Amino acid sequence: MKVIIAKVDETLFSGDAVSLTVPGSEGEMTVLGEHEPLVTTLRPGVAIIRSTQEGSSEFAVREVAIPGGLLEVRRDGATIIL
Amino acid sequence: MAGLKAIKTKIRSIQKTEKVTKAMEAVSAAKMRKAQVRALAGRPYARAAVAILSRLSGAQALSNHPLVRVRVTDPASATRALYIVLTSDKGLAGALNSAVLRATERDIRANGLQTSQVSVIAVGRKANDFFTARGYAVEVYHPNTDTLTSELVDEIVLEAANRFSTGVVDEVKIVYQQFITTFEQRPTMHTVFPLSLPELQQVVKDIIPARGAFSAPAAEDEPRAYEVEPSEGAVLDLVLPKLASIFVYHALLETQASEHSARMVSMKSATDKAGEMEHGLTLQFNKARQAAITREVSEITGGMEAMAG
Repeated sequence: MKVIIAKVDETLFSGDAVSLTVPGSEGEMTVLGEHEPLVTTLRPGVAIIRSTQEGSSEFAVREVAIPGGLLEVRRDGATIIL
Repeated sequence: MAGLKAIKTKIRSIQKTEKVTKAMEAVSAAKMRKAQVRALAGRPYARAAVAILSRLSGAQALSNHPLVRVRVTDPASATRALYIVLTSDKGLAGALNSAVLRATERDIRANGLQTSQVSVIAVGRKANDFFTARGYAVEVYHPNTDTLTSELVDEIVLEAANRFSTGVVDEVKIVYQQFITTFEQRPTMHTVFPLSLPELQQVVKDIIPARGAFSAPAAEDEPRAYEVEPSEGAVLDLVLPKLASIFVYHALLETQASEHSARMVSMKSATDKAGEMEHGLTLQFNKARQAAITREVSEITGGMEAMAG
């Protein structure tokens, strides 16, 4: 699924990912591909993006600090707006 | 016939002007491209925010939200209005700024507002000068620099949202130059508060210019239903100011792209004009020089004839 983390004036992360873990308002949650469409508010914390790497069975992990915001999940991806 | 030296000085000064205008043209062209690229960078954000609002557009919480509720049903009876007016800091860009300022004044008059009923958030020195000189209350003034930050956008939105939701003003409008193509910009006005979904969708659509190198790929399909956590109200509280900041941020970018393209075009025509003048003056210079030589020769031959006779 395609994950985008964007501020109004810049995109902090944009790329394919296997899963996205965020500090949701109801507790930490992880979004995988084909997730039900969802909108939720986020608490300040760290968004963790896991993606496959070529030539390795390990996931590449990317962490992005977020000051709160909104998460929008579609079937084909997720967008966090800060 | 003007003196040779005078013409020569004139040609030199025009050549210098030409160099300056040519350099300004090149600088504006580069800045214009940068502004266009930045406009595209804001698109995923705008798309997501509008999708969230579309999903919540039927919610009870939306129509009662203080940033959305329409207090004045008839636009002609608004008692206080706040205008966010965006211009450039510098001139030399054709009718760019005056078009925006005129459009604002026209709207103020059309709504029957007195000077005292209007307040202004001015971005750009030209807007500040204009409204200050005419006795309007300029509440906040920001210079329009090339380095746009989301802090500036947030500050403007917060200011406007505070005034609207506390009832100090009944309407918040934003006026700016919409970038259509390099040769065409149009003064545009949108109502920021009360927020309306159709107006926002239009703005998001306009982020991609209709023609040219940056024109659009087709829009993605939006899911029809979303789960909402923790509540529609909580999401709305967050998303509405974000939507307003899309308005403001996008308008700022449009203004900058318009400014640079208008300046580029006017500098280009100045450069062309200077080239034309230089050509004409060179012709005049050569004619004057030839006339002087002819005169001298005829004087010498005349003298020789006289001596021989």
